[in-house]
Amino acid sequence: MKGILFLILTILLFSCQTLPLINSPVSSVNQKALTCPAPFLKEKYRLVHTIETRMAGDTRSTIIGVTLADPSTRSVSCAVMTAEGMTLFEAESESGVLKVNRALPPFNSADFAKNMIDDIKLIFFVPEGKLQTKGNFPDGATVCRYSEENGDWIDVIADKSKRTEIKRYSSSGILKRQIRLNKTAGNVYQHIELQGNEQFNYSLSMTLIEAQPVKSKLLRTKSSRNSQR
Amino acid sequence: MKTYRNLFNFVCIAVAVLFVLNPPVHAGMNAFEKLRKESANIKTLQANFVQKKSMKILSRPLVSDGRFYYIAPDSFRWEYVKPVKSVVIAHKNSTKRYVYSDGKMVEDKMGGAQAMKIVLNEIAGWINGRFDQNPSFTATIRGGTNTMITLTPVGQSMAGMIEKIEIVLSREAATVKSVKIIEDANSFTQINFQNVEINKSINLSVFQDVK
Repeated sequence: MKGILFLILTILLFSCQTLPLINSPVSSVNQKALTCPAPFLKEKYRLVHTIETRMAGDTRSTIIGVTLADPSTRSVSCAVMTAEGMTLFEAESESGVLKVNRALPPFNSADFAKNMIDDIKLIFFVPEGKLQTKGNFPDGATVCRYSEENGDWIDVIADKSKRTEIKRYSSSGILKRQIRLNKTAGNVYQHIELQGNEQFNYSLSMTLIEAQPVKSKLLRTKSSRNSQR
Repeated sequence: MKTYRNLFNFVCIAVAVLFVLNPPVHAGMNAFEKLRKESANIKTLQANFVQKKSMKILSRPLVSDGRFYYIAPDSFRWEYVKPVKSVVIAHKNSTKRYVYSDGKMVEDKMGGAQAMKIVLNEIAGWINGRFDQNPSFTATIRGGTNTMITLTPVGQSMAGMIEKIEIVLSREAATVKSVKIIEDANSFTQINFQNVEINKSINLSVFQDVK
């Protein structure tokens, strides 16, 4: 009986993961001076990417993704289409309300829309949660750790070559999402790699086709009035 | 599977339309019969196309360029050059779709090839100009400056996916000008064909080489 109890405790101990250790600067002055990596949108943007989907490391298909994201309201609209032009998925999220306008198989599963919107927010918006720790990893990379309301942890990391990573962990420290932003030219969202660790692991490799800031209607009206004067 | 049937309907409809390269026709059943007669002379076909996808979320259409090849009775290649490189090849009872990944073309493994076979059987009728004999669509034809064929899905098989398809034939050049696939009030795909060449020799390697 004691043997079984010991075995259960051992399994439980090993199943609890720990978050990577962050070395915080000792002095408060140094801590304040440390700037958090922020590869996030500063204004409303429309981005179009090609998305290669992979499962078990194998390329499964290539689709086109359109994202309209506004960091000021944290609202997101998105669409997925085939190269042939067929819309497979279309949804929007505003004030926390998710509306799916179109979802064809295999994009019609119960959690797909929510997970997709969450992934988009993770890539493009600064974390909503509270900044818990900032410092460095042992390899020298700068990291800021946020705690989300649902118990998840988000690390935003900039390594010495200025490559940026965003990692989402569950409350028990299990890595759920890993995002790499590789700025090869111009735009920080030029190339995005997303690794999802779910029941079936998957990865997305996104390459930017076009990106354009979206002016609000109010700003557009003002600027057109000014140009008329 | 259903998605792929409809996805490749997009391709196939465009392909089928190219077989309606013909002089102006007049409204009514005779017009469809005339289409059938004239399409029987087509042995090969090739064309460039520009595809414009319009959606509410896009401020301007997303433009794709590509090229199409056909040899009777059932070999075809429908290829996108940009922004996403992809190609559908049907040849000798084999249908495959390839996408560009890591510097090379790799086979699409989403299971679409099998569905494409079914769809290709379906378009065999369209190849012969039998637009009005596909039970999935109701076809109407309208004359005028340009002839327009409108295909409207029948029943629920395409409900919520395709509202209708409009095919415009050029009166002067006797070729297809464009295809408009309307998904809903906010979303449609317009394909404009250019440099259409009929019965010009095509090397068979077009249906064998993926690159």
